[in-house]
Amino acid sequence: MSEVKTTAASSCASSGEFVPKIVMFCCNWCSYAGADGAGVSRFQQPSNVRVVRVMCSSRVDPVHIYTAFLEGADAVLITGCHIGDCHYVNGNDKTLVKYKFIKSMLNEMGMEDDRLMLRWISASEGQQFAEFVTEMVEKVKALGPSPLRKDGVV
Amino acid sequence: MSAPENPAPAGAPPAGKPPEKKPPAPSTVGDVLKGSDIQVGGKYIGWSVRDEVRKEGGSGGLVTSILAGALEKGLVEHVVVLKKSSQYEAVPVLTSDVEDVYASAGSMHMLISNPTKYLRQFQNDATIALAVKPCDMRGIREQQKRNMIDLDKIFTIGLNCGGTMMPYKIRKVTEEVYGVNPDDVRAEEIEKGKLILETTDGEHHAQSIDELEEEDNGRRENCRYCVVKIATNADLACGNWGVMPDYAGKGTFVEVMTEKGAEFLRNAIDGGYAELKVASEPAAEARGKVNSIMLKMSAKTKEEVFVPMQSQTMTDLKKELENCIGCGACRTVCPPCACGTEAKCTAFNDPVDNYDISLFHMIRFLHLMDSCVGCGQCSDVCPADIPLARLYRKFANPMQDELNYVTGMDDRTPPFFEIKLEEVQ
Repeated sequence: MSEVKTTAASSCASSGEFVPKIVMFCCNWCSYAGADGAGVSRFQQPSNVRVVRVMCSSRVDPVHIYTAFLEGADAVLITGCHIGDCHYVNGNDKTLVKYKFIKSMLNEMGMEDDRLMLRWISASEGQQFAEFVTEMVEKVKALGPSPLRKDGVV
Repeated sequence: MSAPENPAPAGAPPAGKPPEKKPPAPSTVGDVLKGSDIQVGGKYIGWSVRDEVRKEGGSGGLVTSILAGALEKGLVEHVVVLKKSSQYEAVPVLTSDVEDVYASAGSMHMLISNPTKYLRQFQNDATIALAVKPCDMRGIREQQKRNMIDLDKIFTIGLNCGGTMMPYKIRKVTEEVYGVNPDDVRAEEIEKGKLILETTDGEHHAQSIDELEEEDNGRRENCRYCVVKIATNADLACGNWGVMPDYAGKGTFVEVMTEKGAEFLRNAIDGGYAELKVASEPAAEARGKVNSIMLKMSAKTKEEVFVPMQSQTMTDLKKELENCIGCGACRTVCPPCACGTEAKCTAFNDPVDNYDISLFHMIRFLHLMDSCVGCGQCSDVCPADIPLARLYRKFANPMQDELNYVTGMDDRTPPFFEIKLEEVQ
C-alpha cells in the first residue's frame, strides 16, 4: 500500500524528474486559434499543458481555477484576447478583475506568484503562445508540485 | 467609550448614578431647536421629553423617542427592538406596539447578533425602523448592493460601537475575575477604558478592559480590530461620544447623515418626543477624538493579529480548516452573503471530493475579499471553533486596502463587479 502511495505522490516520470501538470484556458476567438497556429507553424513547445477551450476568457470562473488546483494542477494559465479586442465587448476586462482577486487570494494562501498566469494572446500570435507555454513549464518545474495538491494525487 | 448601546433604545443608567434618583433636567444652555432647523450634516445633542424614558435611558433616551415617534406617527410600520432574556442576552423582535419600544431599555454590550439576514425576510412587506451597530449597517448596505434589501423601506439609527462581548464569556469573567454572581448584575457600562458592573446591592465593580483583553476576556477579537466605530453609513449616527460633561448621561450626540434621517428627527421634534440643541464645536471635536483613539487601538490590534499571519503557509491554513464539519453555519449568518439557498459555494462543494481545503471555503474566501464587513459572527457560530473571521479578514485586508474600499460604507459597487468600460470605448 505504502509503495503504491509513494509512486503516486511523487507524480514523477520514470526518470524521477518532476513533470508539471498545467491546465490552460484558451479563448475560442484568439488564443485557441493561436495554439492552432503554433501547431501549424511547428513551433516547439512542451507537452505539459492541457488546453481547455472556452468561448471567452471571462467564462473562466474562480470555481474552474480552484478545482484545477485542488485536483492536482501545478499551474493554471488563462489566455484571452487583447484588451479592446474582445469578441463580447468587455469580457476580458471582467477576466482581469477576477484574475486580480484570485491572484491576491492565492498569494495570501501561500501559493507562489507564477502558479496562476494571465496573458493576452491573439489568433496570429502562435509564436508567443509557444514561448509562453515553454516559459511557464520551466518556471513551474523550478517551483515543484503545488502546495494545494493533495498527497497521493497523481 | 461606548459599545453598542442597545439596538433598541436607551442605555443602562450611567455608572455611578443610583437609578432611583429622578432624572436631572437637561441643561438649558442654548436654544431648543424646531423641526425646521434640522439639516443634513448637522450635529445635535438631544434627549427624550418623557421623564421615564430619560430615567431608563442612560443617554437621554433619544433613540427610543425617535423610534417611538416614527412608529406612532406612521413613518414606519414596524420597529425592531431587543427583548432581553437575561442581563446578558437578548433577541431582536419585530413589533408595532409603541409600548414595546418604550419597554426595551438597558444598554447591552453583549449584543452580538447582526440583524441583516433577519431583515431580509421582511423587507419587501413593510417599512421597518431599527437601531444598528456600524457592522449591522454595513451588512444591510451590502445586501442592498446585491438587490436583496430595499433601503427605501428601512430607517436606521446608527449607534457608536467600541466593541461587543460574548455573553458566555462575560458570565465567566463576572464570576472568576470580578468575583460576583453573574445573576446579581443589574447593569453594565464601559467608561474610561473600564468595564463597570453594577450589582443589585448598588455596588460598582470595575476592571480595566486592556487587562481583561490580555487574557482574551474582553471584547470579541473582530471588534478589537474593527475600523468603523461611528455608524456614518446609517441615516442618523447617534452615541454618547462628544456629549460634554454638562449633558453627560442626559443627552445623545446625533449627526444627521441623510435626508431621511433629518425627516425622522423633525418628526420626533414636531411630534413632541424629543428635544434637540445644536452641538457645540468642542463637542464635535471630542467625538472625533474618542473615535480616533478607538481607531488607533484597532490599528494596533490589527497589526498584532495580521502581521504574524503573513508568514502563514498553506500547511497552516489547511490545519486551521481541518476540523470543518461542513455545517454551513458561517454562510447562514454572514451578513453580506446574498445568494440564498442555492449558491456557488454550496452547489459545487461535494464532501466526497475530500479536498484539504474544501471548495466551499475557497469560494467563500474569494467572495468575502470584497464584501467582508468584519462582524465576526462566523467565528461565533462555528461549532468546530475555527477562527473564520480572522481568516476571512486575512484575505480581505490586502485587497480592500489596495482598492481603498471600506465595505458597506457607501453605494460604491463591490469591486469584483466594478468593470471599467471606459478602456474599451
